[in-house]
Amino acid sequence: MIDFGFGLSRSSAVRLDEVDLSLYKRLEELEPQVRTCIGCGSCSATCTAGPWSGMSIRKVILNLQRGRDIEKMLSNCMLCGKCTMVCPRGINTRHLILSLCRIYEKK
Amino acid sequence: MDKVLIIGGGIAGMEAAGQLLKLGYEPVIAEKEDHLGGHVAGWHKLFPDMMDASALIEQLASKLDGATVYLRTRVAYMNRLKDGYSVMLSNGTGLVCRAVLIASGFRLFDAAKKEEYGYGVYDHVITNSDLEAWFNGVEDFRVPENPRHIAFVHCVGSRDLKAGNPQCSKVCCMTAIKQAIEMKEKFPDAEIWCFYMDLRLFGKKYEDFYINAQRDHGIHFVRGRVSEVGEDIDGRVVLKAEDTLAGTQVKLKADLLVLMAGMLCNEDTATIASMVRAAVDSDGFMRSRDNIYRINESNRPGIFFAGACTGTKTVPETVAEARAAALDIHNYLSGND
Amino acid sequence: MRERFASGFDPFVLPFLIGFFFVIGYCILGIVRIMFQLSREDRRMFLLSLITPTTALKNIWDIFANCLLHVKLWKRNKVLGFMHSSIAFGWFMLIVLGHIEVMLYCPGRIHLFYYPIFFNYFVAENESTIGGAVLFFLMDFFLLLVLAGIALAIIKRVRSRIFGMRRTTRPSMLDRVGLYSLWAIFPLRLLAESFTAHISGGSFLTIPANWVFRQFLGNDLHMLPTWWAYSLALCVFMLVLPFTRYMHIPAEMMLIPMRNAGLKIRHARKGFARVEVLSCPGCGVCIDACPMSVKKANLKDCTVYLNRQLRRGNEKRIEEISDKCLLCGKCEALCQVGVEGPALRIAQRERRKYGFSQDYSGIDVAPMAAAAKGAKVLYFSGCMTRLTPSVGKAVCSLLQKAGVDYVWADRDEGLCCGRPMLTAGRTEQARQLIRKNEEMILGSGAGTLLLSCPICYKIFTEEYNLPGVRVVNYVTFFNELVEQGMLKLEKGDLFYVYHDPCELGRGCGIYEEPRKLLGRAAGITEAPKNRAESICCGGSLGSLTLDFQHREAMTLNALKNLYESKADAIATACPLCLATFSRYSERPVRDIAEVLDAQSHV
Repeated sequence: MIDFGFGLSRSSAVRLDEVDLSLYKRLEELEPQVRTCIGCGSCSATCTAGPWSGMSIRKVILNLQRGRDIEKMLSNCMLCGKCTMVCPRGINTRHLILSLCRIYEKK
Repeated sequence: MDKVLIIGGGIAGMEAAGQLLKLGYEPVIAEKEDHLGGHVAGWHKLFPDMMDASALIEQLASKLDGATVYLRTRVAYMNRLKDGYSVMLSNGTGLVCRAVLIASGFRLFDAAKKEEYGYGVYDHVITNSDLEAWFNGVEDFRVPENPRHIAFVHCVGSRDLKAGNPQCSKVCCMTAIKQAIEMKEKFPDAEIWCFYMDLRLFGKKYEDFYINAQRDHGIHFVRGRVSEVGEDIDGRVVLKAEDTLAGTQVKLKADLLVLMAGMLCNEDTATIASMVRAAVDSDGFMRSRDNIYRINESNRPGIFFAGACTGTKTVPETVAEARAAALDIHNYLSGND
Repeated sequence: MRERFASGFDPFVLPFLIGFFFVIGYCILGIVRIMFQLSREDRRMFLLSLITPTTALKNIWDIFANCLLHVKLWKRNKVLGFMHSSIAFGWFMLIVLGHIEVMLYCPGRIHLFYYPIFFNYFVAENESTIGGAVLFFLMDFFLLLVLAGIALAIIKRVRSRIFGMRRTTRPSMLDRVGLYSLWAIFPLRLLAESFTAHISGGSFLTIPANWVFRQFLGNDLHMLPTWWAYSLALCVFMLVLPFTRYMHIPAEMMLIPMRNAGLKIRHARKGFARVEVLSCPGCGVCIDACPMSVKKANLKDCTVYLNRQLRRGNEKRIEEISDKCLLCGKCEALCQVGVEGPALRIAQRERRKYGFSQDYSGIDVAPMAAAAKGAKVLYFSGCMTRLTPSVGKAVCSLLQKAGVDYVWADRDEGLCCGRPMLTAGRTEQARQLIRKNEEMILGSGAGTLLLSCPICYKIFTEEYNLPGVRVVNYVTFFNELVEQGMLKLEKGDLFYVYHDPCELGRGCGIYEEPRKLLGRAAGITEAPKNRAESICCGGSLGSLTLDFQHREAMTLNALKNLYESKADAIATACPLCLATFSRYSERPVRDIAEVLDAQSHV
């Protein structure tokens, strides 16, 4: 490529082929069920912490798949377990959150 | 003349009986309810042509001259003979026939099982079939006079492991859009909201319906599964969902909530299947020889299927299958196989 | 009685002495270690309790009743009770009587530890010891008692079902060594004493045996080897004891005073928890008790195996077992020793390190408190009730009918009570939630906090500090309303079986009130397993790792127990039980409030 000496500002689009999936892969290992998420939003709709912090497990999972940071999004989770009760795919979201908290320890 | 027992007098059983009559057989319909037509008999209009459900039933019934119809009748027991089946019906009739057509259909998911939606608890929560009954003129105090907001929740008891049915019921998306349009026509001032997980509009003219709903009727589509329903002091239902496209929790105070209850295998399916040792599939419905070429055939000689007893079906699919089953039975009985 | 040997010694006592000093040394070291592991405060409390006369007396009585007589076990299973108490009490009496004999006949030898054990070898009977006959009789009697116990133990090993136990633990290698040496001790003692009975004297058991043996064994050459074998069996048993489940014998004597002193588990591996783990006799009562046991894959996840893994330090399994448990508390309710299975697991979960922790300081509860101001009764329904709206609706309807001045605190939004956080082992986060809720409740100015969820109720009564606020469960509250005549109930025709929710029954000890209340509105029948033995619905939040799919079998099993009552419908007092059962139940499932609401009028 010829360098014209000026660059465009970097695109904010997520480059799916270049995303760093290490964290998501680690989560998949601990919680294989996470692969079956259909992103219906039930978990986030029922979330007790949602109104206080905008917490959304659906977003957490999706952001991990897109290589984005998620740390702040879990900060108000109360582990009440409602998300696990409503998940139509039977994902143990409550344990998934605990696993996420642990992954950060190892990072 | 050969007798053919048809278990179930819904649209599949009726159409198959009509065809079998034409082919020169003597169909015997055993229907557990007190009327023919099954679930469709309680429906108002059918998509995509908005044909009157009653017109279809009338048309099917008009071809049944000469068929034996037993209402309020179940199969008491069925035994395999060397070549055929001996059957005892609950009304005391016994018959021997070489072929049996199972057209036992489906059952609607009991919306009260999804407790979080408050069916049977809140005053303004109904199901898709309640709404069709209301369209048909059955009085329903739950439908308010002048609703400002009406919500439809898709996938109630479908695609839901917790409700015991991980399968898609296939017709509810389209039914919801159809009913939404009908409601909008009845209440032009009302805002109508459809909460869906995925919109599955696969059939001829279905997408047109969707476009109509959006363009001509201004129906709102929210991608998110409702997970809680509350009630405010005025008795209106309060829905909580996540608008997954906007990425935010949303709430809606609605005057009417319609639950799109899904299709499950009939309770009687397993009983009937065990009488003739026909196989039941992992989804609870009857198992066809295969799901591509021999959907009408069971793993037992002389036992055939038509309609929703093998899985969720639309009305045109069911009717077509019933016709095919009649031909299959004819080929079987006349040794053309 | 006269002594046969001037030295009062024979080399065969050496194995016994080795084992004896090993066990005593091990126990003393263990006690010292555990005392140091206790916090300063706990240690003080424990030592003080030992010298307080009332607790000291209670300790002695408890040790006598539980360790020796196994009173609790008798109540549960007579055959097992007899088996254990005959061995424990019989053996204890043999030791006591041995000492009495030594003190009576050769008081000079009392300082020799082996003398009371091998007394019969070292003495010869003479004509003047008529008083000995009673002692000899008692010795033989208690030996027979122990032998009967051992015989039952052997039968139990082969066929546990006879004893009403469906499953028992699989003993480890060392457990087997301990077990077989224990079985060997008493028959060997019988042999040894019988061979010596023509010299030392004996009673109804040993004298006839001696006569029989002497018919075909002409000389006394076989005498010494049997005493050697007896001593060796004792030695083997005592050497392996610290590493087997038989450690529960000394450990329980430590556990009882510690529990009576009011100590609590503060660390999963140290102090009081360690004593509890060592006190587990490995009987396996918890295997049948555990609701997870309906699935074979979970058989090794009950408390007895947790204790075993804790002794072995198998970290991976400890973690698995701790996280899987539903914390229903049934193992603890049935445990003869009182091992706190759930508390041990929570303590274990507390040890885990997390990369980041939740923080709720940003949540402002003032608007919630303001919205809840003005009413006398504050109704807190909890998270789960949002998914079972019928409960909240029925509670409010009843409150309105009774004319109670109330406000629904978390009708729109609320914070979790903290119990799920606490059971997940995240104590600090739970404390934060508790403080936030305390602030909200105290800010509302209500005098009564009404709870319809037993999960909330448990933590509210145990961990919350709400001065001036009465925390009350709805079954208690509605009972009062009925008794005060504010709520009128009409008895319906339906028969209900009441399911005791874990957190309300075993968790808070509330068994009678819901039955009384339900009985006012409907007929009641009981399930075979009820009250403290009620079977968890399988929906418990206690388990961190159990998936939805793996809970179904437990729910169906719990329902099967309820169906056996032949009731028309099932009633419970927990939104989580309600949601879990409704999913699978063939019969209607109702919250107790719904039943009342249907049967009440203004």
